Amino acid sequence: MMPSPVEIVGTLAWGTVVGLDLVSVPQGLLSRPLVAATVTGLLVGNITGGLMAGMVLELYALDVLPIGASRYPDYSVAAVAGGVAGALVTPTLAVGVAGLIGLPMAAVGGWTLQTLRRRNALSVRRRLERVAAGDGRAIWELQRNGMLRDALRSFGLAVIGSGLAIVVTRVPWDEFANARVLSWAVLAGGIAAALGGAVRSAGRGARRRWLAVGLATGTIVVLLR
Amino acid sequence: MKPRSQALLRLFAVQASYTYERMLGIGVGHAAMPLLRNVLATRSARARHEAVARSADFFNAHPYLAGVAVGAEVKAEQDGASSAVISRLRTALSGPLGSLGDQLIWAGWVPALVGVALAAATWAGIWAVLAIVVIHNLLRFRLMSWGLDLGLREGLGVGAALQRSWLPRAAKDAQRAAAFAVGLAIPIVVWRTLAGASRIHVTITLLVGLTGAAVSVLPATRSRVTGLRLGLLLVGLAVLVAGGVR
Repeated sequence: MMPSPVEIVGTLAWGTVVGLDLVSVPQGLLSRPLVAATVTGLLVGNITGGLMAGMVLELYALDVLPIGASRYPDYSVAAVAGGVAGALVTPTLAVGVAGLIGLPMAAVGGWTLQTLRRRNALSVRRRLERVAAGDGRAIWELQRNGMLRDALRSFGLAVIGSGLAIVVTRVPWDEFANARVLSWAVLAGGIAAALGGAVRSAGRGARRRWLAVGLATGTIVVLLR
Repeated sequence: MKPRSQALLRLFAVQASYTYERMLGIGVGHAAMPLLRNVLATRSARARHEAVARSADFFNAHPYLAGVAVGAEVKAEQDGASSAVISRLRTALSGPLGSLGDQLIWAGWVPALVGVALAAATWAGIWAVLAIVVIHNLLRFRLMSWGLDLGLREGLGVGAALQRSWLPRAAKDAQRAAAFAVGLAIPIVVWRTLAGASRIHVTITLLVGLTGAAVSVLPATRSRVTGLRLGLLLVGLAVLVAGGVR
């Protein structure tokens, strides 16, 4: 299934918004993989496929703490690409193909964030005298240019990611004997990321106990289904 | 639009020109400008420009709590504090605003909301996802607004006011909620994703996932093994395994 031109334009616009949301504006949770991929699924006509992709990519994003000057992968636009992939393949392959596209895109996205910050720094250096003199216009220009640069970065990632997703979903996955292994591998990595991140973040005190209670509750919910 | 509303709106883009050298500095300066223009209206143009320049200097904090610093700095400028005192205020606020914000938001309410949505999405679908976006943005707007007002009210005394406020306690509670919600979500996502898989495949997937988690936690490997690296390795191996044509 090939998305229509309207769906492609909508996805690229959404990818740009999501990429901007991660750091620049407005940081309103749109960049979380669960949100980004599910809405992408809605845009290309398969919410469940997008949701499945988003759920598993979200496990990876839970491993990330964007603290201070730390360098981290960018799962935002990657989840849009993963959402496109997840929405365009059969349900059993949604998670695998979403990970195949989404994980490398997250690594590339993280690299582009660093490049963006270096480019912003260059822009500040060019206006250093004006900023030091308290020129409000120079400060506004820096803000505006930073947002435009990030929008361009996000749009570029959305074009590459969505394009790759469409190409990968054209592969006749059903002809591969063990195609479902891909989904299980992506999920196993997600379990490792989310659980490892949660254990590290919980430390040794009460939070670790709350994590254990959560895991036990989730397991009971699953067993009762 | 009133200066306070302008500042609040600009705080949504406080990281738009983020750099490793100045961090949020330019964004803080941009947010502070409408308030500085207002409270320093009777001072000379030079004094206003100097205040704007100070506000755009290096600053680091959690973006949702940057309004506390914006408000405090504007109040200090209004009260005629010296440049050195304002510089010390910014330095003193950087650590607590970063640390409290990271605990409350990045390690607290964001993973808590996401964990709940992951667990609920199996039954509520997209509605669970949309609900957390709305809740997050309501909480975030309320926090930013509260922080800006706290700074504008307390000025140089904002550090002590922060310690007395509900924030430190809320940060602890939010992190506990996050630990519970993420723990709750993991088994449910695994169950949903592995629906229809055979028992042996479920066992292998869980074993690989748990081993990966253990490796990413061990002191000897935790700095090198990230979730993304593990995922890329597993995807690479899976492509090799899946490569055989039926």
